[in-house]
Amino acid sequence: MILALVVITALAFDFTNGFHDTANAMATSIATKALRPKTAVALSGALNLVGAFLSVEVALTVTNAVVKIQDKSGAPKAELLADGGSTLLLIILAGLVGGIVWNLLTWLLGLPSSSSHALFGGLVGATLAGLGIAGVNWNGDGSKLDGVVGKVLLPAVISPVIAGAVAALGTWVIFKITTGVAARFTEQGFRWGQIGSASLVSLAHGTNDAQKTMGVITLALIASGHWSDLENIPLWVKVSAAFAIAAGTYLGGWRIIRTLGKGITDINPPQGTAAQSGAAAVILASSHLGFALSTTHVATGSVIGSGLGRPGAKVRWAVAGRMALAWLITLPSAALIGALMFWVGDAVGGTAGALVVFTLLCIASVAMYLRSRTGKVDHENVNDDWDGDSPSTTGTPATTSSVPAVAAN
Amino acid sequence: MHNLGFALDGAWQVLIAGLALGAGLPILFALGIRSLAWGAGAATVTTPTSAPAGRRPLGTALGYALFAVVIIGVLLGLTFIVSSGFGYKLDFSHIYPTLVAK
Repeated sequence: MILALVVITALAFDFTNGFHDTANAMATSIATKALRPKTAVALSGALNLVGAFLSVEVALTVTNAVVKIQDKSGAPKAELLADGGSTLLLIILAGLVGGIVWNLLTWLLGLPSSSSHALFGGLVGATLAGLGIAGVNWNGDGSKLDGVVGKVLLPAVISPVIAGAVAALGTWVIFKITTGVAARFTEQGFRWGQIGSASLVSLAHGTNDAQKTMGVITLALIASGHWSDLENIPLWVKVSAAFAIAAGTYLGGWRIIRTLGKGITDINPPQGTAAQSGAAAVILASSHLGFALSTTHVATGSVIGSGLGRPGAKVRWAVAGRMALAWLITLPSAALIGALMFWVGDAVGGTAGALVVFTLLCIASVAMYLRSRTGKVDHENVNDDWDGDSPSTTGTPATTSSVPAVAAN
Repeated sequence: MHNLGFALDGAWQVLIAGLALGAGLPILFALGIRSLAWGAGAATVTTPTSAPAGRRPLGTALGYALFAVVIIGVLLGLTFIVSSGFGYKLDFSHIYPTLVAK
């Protein structure tokens, strides 16, 4: 029963991961009209699906980056299995709920925050509540880049700067090269440049992010004794996680797409090409070198960079600043929700506790969905001018006032 | 603080790779577009006063050659993603890329 709730919640997280991150790949192509909004999300969804299947590497040890609930081989720690794994399952459940609630809340505010950080934050919080401070892998063991500091905090600071520098340089040189070239060549050419580079980002996203959910679900299966193979992931887990992230991507987080594509800076096709190529290169290079990073931070950094690199373009620093603030509080906020959920679930106890946590998640999700109906952003109005009286998705008093209501959940 | 050292160590490698591929390839792509335009006589900066010049096959050929380089770069990127998933890695120690088992 608890296991079923964990699996459903993990797939739900995967789904929010998908729609939260559509923007990373497709916001620029949508903003420059290189692709029609619906086409863009369909392409990105399909590539996420392909990407999720392409990578067969076992991501079973995904939680090891931030918490100590598994050993190096990926098996759950023996002492956590003493009670039939129910504490471990509750930690995972509470952590996932923390990740989902934070993803939905930032989506409601149109802020591109990192889904991986939300998941890690939720897990850290739930582990703190369940196992105490020693259960968290703060700083690694000194042999490699690891722990909350090495896998989350430092990359979050460094990766947007790198991506921004790459995109700024790329944009600047491209504008130097193509000044004066007839529009019929630049328009068509960079349209394809954008589609190609955005597709690469989508594919890389599918290979990276769907893995995390697969790892978490498999960990839950092992903890409850339904799976014992540490080398492989059950096929149904792989298929369902791949479809969950693809469906989420296809749904499209229009609010976030709007912020990234229109809010930070006004993007044109050459900029979009430079931004997405920079993002794709940085994501691929990092995963090759084992430098953990968030697709969101890279994509945002490169969009800002492309705004800095284009002569005459302006970056809306107020929007960028609000985003940076969201990044800073993602980990602690998701951790807080994760911890609260663990306490609630633990206080009620057993299957009933897990049910209560799951119900709270449903209530919070429905509340935020209903809230999103006012000031709706979808594929129809995603490209409206940012400075105008179009439905604003960020920072209005009305939207921020929903924060306490959700925190109360 | 060991993490900071590892992070900075990884960061400059990512920066170099990012600049080479993330800025380099789109720049080649832009050069390709310019060559193509020049080949068709439409890059206006080189001939600001005259009407569109005649066709220049060299420019067209160069343009497509540059696009080919970019496409090869992208294909290498794709090979990289796919191969690492199947337990191979792209090895550049022979200059040209080869697939080796991890």
